[in-house]
Amino acid sequence: MIRKKKSQVFNAEGVSLTLGSDATATDGGKRDFLKIVLGGGLVAWIATLMYPLFSYLNPPRQTEVEVSSVKVGPLNDIPRDSGMIVRFGNKPVLLVRTADDQLRAFSAVCTHLDCTVQYKSDLGMIWCACHNGRYDLNGRNVSGPPPRPLEVYRVVMQGDDVHITAAA
Amino acid sequence: MTTKLRAWFDERIPLQDLKEFLAKKHVPLHRGSVWYYFGGVSLFLFIVQVITGILLLLYYKGSEQLAWESIQFIMSKVQFGWLVRSIHTWAANLFVLAVFIHMFSVFFERAYRRPRELTWLTGMVLLFLALGFGFSGYLLPWNELAFFATKVGTDIAGVLPVIGKPLMVFLRGGEEVTGATLSRFFGFHVAVFPGLFTVILSIHLILVQRQGMSEPLGHDTRPNRRVMPFFPNFLLRDLLLWLIVLNILAILAVLFPSELGKKADAFAPAPEGIRPEWYFLFMFQTLKYFPAQVLFMDGEVLGILLFGIAGLLWMLVPFWDRKSSRGEANRWVNYVGLFVVIYILVFTVLGWLP
Amino acid sequence: MKTRAWIGPMLVALSLSLCSAAPAVAADECLKCHESLGGSIPALFRRDVHFAARISCSGCHGGDSSTDDMAKAMDTSAGFVGGSKGDAASMMCARCHSDAERMRSYGSKLPVQQWESLQASVHGKLSGSGGGNAVSCVTCHGAHGIVRVDNPSSPVSPLNVVKKCSSCHANAAYMRMFNPSLAVDQLEKYRTSVHGVRNAKGDVKAAQCVSCHGSHGILKAADAKSRVNPVNLPATCATCHSDASYMKEYGIPTDQYDKFSRSVHGVALLQKHDAGAPACNRCHGNHGAAPPGVASISNVCGTCHVLNAELFAGSPHKKAFDEQGLPECETCHGNHEIVTAGTWMLGVSDQSTCGNCHSADANASGFNVARMMRSLADSLLDMEAAAGKLVDEAEQKGMEITEAKFGLRDVRQARLQSRTVVHAFDESKFRAVVEKGITQAASVSHEASEAIDEFYFRRIGLGVSTFIITILAVCLWLLIRRIEARAK
Repeated sequence: MIRKKKSQVFNAEGVSLTLGSDATATDGGKRDFLKIVLGGGLVAWIATLMYPLFSYLNPPRQTEVEVSSVKVGPLNDIPRDSGMIVRFGNKPVLLVRTADDQLRAFSAVCTHLDCTVQYKSDLGMIWCACHNGRYDLNGRNVSGPPPRPLEVYRVVMQGDDVHITAAA
Repeated sequence: MTTKLRAWFDERIPLQDLKEFLAKKHVPLHRGSVWYYFGGVSLFLFIVQVITGILLLLYYKGSEQLAWESIQFIMSKVQFGWLVRSIHTWAANLFVLAVFIHMFSVFFERAYRRPRELTWLTGMVLLFLALGFGFSGYLLPWNELAFFATKVGTDIAGVLPVIGKPLMVFLRGGEEVTGATLSRFFGFHVAVFPGLFTVILSIHLILVQRQGMSEPLGHDTRPNRRVMPFFPNFLLRDLLLWLIVLNILAILAVLFPSELGKKADAFAPAPEGIRPEWYFLFMFQTLKYFPAQVLFMDGEVLGILLFGIAGLLWMLVPFWDRKSSRGEANRWVNYVGLFVVIYILVFTVLGWLP
Repeated sequence: MKTRAWIGPMLVALSLSLCSAAPAVAADECLKCHESLGGSIPALFRRDVHFAARISCSGCHGGDSSTDDMAKAMDTSAGFVGGSKGDAASMMCARCHSDAERMRSYGSKLPVQQWESLQASVHGKLSGSGGGNAVSCVTCHGAHGIVRVDNPSSPVSPLNVVKKCSSCHANAAYMRMFNPSLAVDQLEKYRTSVHGVRNAKGDVKAAQCVSCHGSHGILKAADAKSRVNPVNLPATCATCHSDASYMKEYGIPTDQYDKFSRSVHGVALLQKHDAGAPACNRCHGNHGAAPPGVASISNVCGTCHVLNAELFAGSPHKKAFDEQGLPECETCHGNHEIVTAGTWMLGVSDQSTCGNCHSADANASGFNVARMMRSLADSLLDMEAAAGKLVDEAEQKGMEITEAKFGLRDVRQARLQSRTVVHAFDESKFRAVVEKGITQAASVSHEASEAIDEFYFRRIGLGVSTFIITILAVCLWLLIRRIEARAK
């Protein structure tokens, strides 16, 4: 980009020089108009180059190809004996804060038919509303149709903030 | 203000010399002057490739696990990523096309003749490097088509006698096309080739500046021939053409964005319609027509050897075409050139047709 | 393997020491003498198949049965071994029964792998107290008085084998030594099954232990090669139940296996080897095999399809079906050939199952509900398909639509949930679920269309930049012209 811009600027400068030096007397009006349009066009053109360039350089919302970690927020925002769904890339993750104050995270995608599971505090279990599949708080499928346990994610505390990372 | 600034610079870098050099530089005018532009267009497209290539490098990941995914990421998640990648792909194609046109125009105008043999030779090396860029870059998205095209391409290298097998293993970084091949091609594409290309391109350009533009046979003798000042006339025309090329690139990129296809899977059956990039098609197609066995030789090997010899002869044209160097007309060069152009056109079309 | 290593030489040694396993024995002096001593053994042996084959006592006990001199006949140095127990007894049997040549010389058509099968079986792998196999030949077949298996007096005949197996398997204290968690109520359950009832009535064709578990080579059910492993069980049941001539006298269909293998359950189990899918026993029971009763079907299906069964139990259909003797789940879904359910089952078309009972004239309120539910389900499906198509299109155009794709999951979930909640046969509950999905689908569609619009917006961007470049190019051209004009 830089090289191209330079040549443009250099060129524009060269042009204005040649024009400015000896063509002033002849046809001032026309020259000014051409100069203005050329300059304006140049600025607009550089803008059309710079806009996509800087948009491209601006880090996208998902900063990497694969999400490896997600910040959930302060621990105090998560009540005990509750669960919450967290976006992990394009997958939902269920973060559970158990009654005995442990933090656990699992893929929220039911292994049966991909519904989103939830934490049921009355059961003390992870529950899928679609077909009543149940998982214990280690993610193991204990009842209903789910064929496999839920994928486990790692929960990491950084200061007061809860982070979820893909299990290594 | 500008005068002051210019004086400041002039004191440090003698701009006056440059100005004088530019003022003296002229572009000869004749019926073939239009071909002079293709060198400039090639240069411009190379610059575009460098810039878009660097941009892609910000997000691309050259590993088997992430190559395809990172391109998908560029195409969908990065703002204008689709544009940058599409421009890179299209500019690559136009670059090879421009380089080919540049080469043939030089050939037919006999611009390679004494004393410009070195310019021709460096140009040919640049052409081969451009093809190397194309071949290595094709694999980087790590999709099915690229995977199998690379497999076939390196297989062809592998049939060469004696050096074939080691060459293939060197190219692939192993016996098979794997993630190791990808890393290797990635290295070639973004480090080795650009480095080599820059050095040789510099020599090529310096040679052109030192020797001035070549003029057709029988043209350079006239005393008051028509010329155009390089600065600003020719340079402005160059810039005008570059602008137009840039716009063509934008149009192609928006209307025909690059596709990504399916991720490469070494164990999947080869998809239909595997073929190399269009600029390799004529060779690919020729090898297809070769019989399996010619006399005592393997047909494919013979084909590759013939292409090698033809390429070498082509590259050495300044040395066997003595007549042109002496300033005499040599019809044979025209015949050879025409034959090659027609051959490439016909076989490319044949290869293109299903 | 270890056992095999020493069994060979031992057999050879035995054969040598008992070299007189001669087929023809003029007079069995052992038998004569022992008969005079009384006891049941000689009498039993006279009924024995081996006696009929003219094998003397010395055939198994060694010694010389041709002499009436007791000291000579029972001389250990002459090879007398007396009574053998456990593995030693088994090997005594195997000496002939694993020797194809010798068995043929007796005109036997019996298989000759029993001992090897037993070694590989669960009974062969477990060791009894004091070492050796938990089960030897005599454990089931007895020693003297062995008769053919089709002889009703054989302990392993179809009618007796049940007792024989349960003599260990119903003994909790004994079974605890080997597998404390294994049930010991098989016989009890078996007596309640159709097979068990027939067996008790003397039907030798009705399945008993051996019919399903095999005899010598019995494996644990969890063993992939076991005949009662879930994946193999349907074929095991089918050996009788798909045999039309065998089943003829019972007057029940014989196409259950064919139907089952086409059903969702059969495909999952037999083709995908999904151990979660039910084999015959999951609905019929195994030892207590019988068709589930009409009113208990929803409980049986509900062991897996929990939510559906719960919803059904609370629905108006439960009472109505039971009163009319309709077999609950089976009424709509069928039994062996259960296919994947779909919206085609719902509604009032010819295909639908609702129409079997509900029509505009009869049970009209249900008819209207069915029609309404079908139209809701259809619109959800249509909306989902349309949203999916838009998302695909946007994705193909290279647009960023992760959000919309994420939303699509919710639509799918609503569809799946609607297919469960339909079993409540309650329009308002169904509507709530479906409408949630429809709303979500609409918002996904909206997002995807916006992404597609964005794609076309790119062309506008292209237009703008082309316009600017064109102006620039024209200006440049004019400039060049002017410079050149001035130069002239």
